[in-house]
Amino acid sequence: MGSFFIQRLSQTVFVVLAAALVSFAMFRYVGDPVNNMVGQAASLADREAMRRALGLDDPTILQFVRFLRDALAGDLGVSYRFGVPVSQLLTERFPATLELSLCAMLVATLLGIPLGVWTALHRRRVSSHLLMLLSLVGVALPTFLIGIVFILIFSVWLGWLPSFGRGTTVALGGWTTGLLTVSGLKALVLPSLTLGLFQMALILRLVRAEMLEVLRADYIKFARARGLPNRAVNYRHALKNTLVPVITIIGLQFGNIFAFSIVVETVFQWPGLGLLVIQSIQFADVPLLAAYLVMIALGFAILNLCIDLLYAAIDPRVRTGMLSARARS
Amino acid sequence: MSTEAVARPQRWWEGDLAYDFLHSPFAIIATAVTIVLIAVALGANIIAPFDVNDPASANVIDARLPPGSSGMFGGYFLLGTDPQGRDMLSAVIFGLRTSLLVGGSSVVLAALVGILLGLISGYVGGWIDALIMRIADVQLSFPAILVALMIDGVSRTVMARATHDALAVPVLVVAIAATYWVQYARTVRALVLVERDKDYVLAARVTGIGPLRIVLTHIRPNVLGPVVVIATINLALAILTEATLSFLGIGVPPTMPSLGSMVRIGNEFLFSGDWWISVVPGAVLVLLSLAVNLLGDWLRDALNPRLGNG
Repeated sequence: MGSFFIQRLSQTVFVVLAAALVSFAMFRYVGDPVNNMVGQAASLADREAMRRALGLDDPTILQFVRFLRDALAGDLGVSYRFGVPVSQLLTERFPATLELSLCAMLVATLLGIPLGVWTALHRRRVSSHLLMLLSLVGVALPTFLIGIVFILIFSVWLGWLPSFGRGTTVALGGWTTGLLTVSGLKALVLPSLTLGLFQMALILRLVRAEMLEVLRADYIKFARARGLPNRAVNYRHALKNTLVPVITIIGLQFGNIFAFSIVVETVFQWPGLGLLVIQSIQFADVPLLAAYLVMIALGFAILNLCIDLLYAAIDPRVRTGMLSARARS
Repeated sequence: MSTEAVARPQRWWEGDLAYDFLHSPFAIIATAVTIVLIAVALGANIIAPFDVNDPASANVIDARLPPGSSGMFGGYFLLGTDPQGRDMLSAVIFGLRTSLLVGGSSVVLAALVGILLGLISGYVGGWIDALIMRIADVQLSFPAILVALMIDGVSRTVMARATHDALAVPVLVVAIAATYWVQYARTVRALVLVERDKDYVLAARVTGIGPLRIVLTHIRPNVLGPVVVIATINLALAILTEATLSFLGIGVPPTMPSLGSMVRIGNEFLFSGDWWISVVPGAVLVLLSLAVNLLGDWLRDALNPRLGNG
């Protein structure tokens, strides 16, 4: 356990450092930081003085260390486009993205698991074939198209739901939430459905496959032989064992939800981190993009570390390095 | 590469596969649709009624005409026109070509890099293997779309605008390929580990053939089967990734029509009721993605009896 932990931890540190290095290189070598700060009229001597004052004459390694120290202290620079500290922008936008992602995950889980169980238990029914076909469409459809079709149907033609923004939000301390107002909840429906649909299709297919696998197992046959009613066999014995891998996949998929929230936020003009990063790429907002890079590296590293440790805690084989067979499937 | 695999007699590729194919209506339809779409994309210059790359072919007076209208100066627009008065049908055909070009190139690049690294990793072993696999692990811990987006986004910010516009397509191909090489590398490595100790490899080694030639001429043909499956499934993913990045406005340059960027443009006119501007390229994208996906699914099931439908 100890060496496994150390190996994962060193990997995590390495990834974050690599991301920090890229982000530092962007800061340092894209454009001239001094030019970005002084006006046209500044003399060469002024520029030189400023360069020295900013520490840009120091060895690169020293500058990198200073960059890391500032980043750890939450000082990630000032956005070129908004003119406010990047850390402030990121914390402002974070609640919107988290609320959207959590709702999408909820939608995907609450629909995906029951539908997956249904298609596994009633394999030969027309409704199951239809659901499987729909889930294939859900996997094959690009997220942005699902969003546009939803907007076309529910906003343009039917006029039921808003197509952009978060509606009215309420501030709770530093956290702005759209969950407490009617317009906020209405605004949340289409984006979270759009974001959740792909995951729902994925969970449905996974639950079906796992369930079919489990139903073939010997202990299910014995349970039936013992004369247990179908309901007990299906739900108490089969479903329970199906859910272990499903739950871990749901955990792993959270990263994907976060990634695709970038797309959904662009479609629905949802004021979260995703929209912010797309705009920062389009406007070449280097500090913002650099900070985002470090942030996701750190976020994902921590998320993956937690998942790995959880795995190791649940499944002893992982500790001895037999994870690959499971991870590949 | 695939033609070579077909020509060479191999256990799973003979008879059975052809039989399975002819008895699977989905596979036949998916293959037919894929072939038609690829043919249309390849023949874009001949098939498209208008040349969308020629500004003279479009007239702003004809902008946003609904499907089935005729233009001011003649010309029939079967699928309507876009905001610049370009024929949607022609734009979609050229867009299809861009999508297939970018998607196809990135799959080829990813496969080449992945196979090579997988062969090295599996055959050489040692610290090189550990290093490659560690990088693969790390990369798999990030969602593919996020990796592509970051590579594309960072290189976009780092390069000067003019440089980037010229290099946009190669950058996009590299960004997408960088997200998919891992699967090839891992699969090929696992297969090489199995093949490495078989008698024919031992025999080749005994006859004094160098490791490079053993890997490239003896082991490689035996590990290509699964690679074809991965490549087909990845083609659908790569096309969708390109479309998504172009939709986000950070994919192909604006001068190049791509299915994703066309949907993006159409998105702005959704509320004016001009649905066809986004729906037409979107529908073509879905058709393409579904066809390739079905083909990949069928191929995977057909080549892997263990995963049969039970």
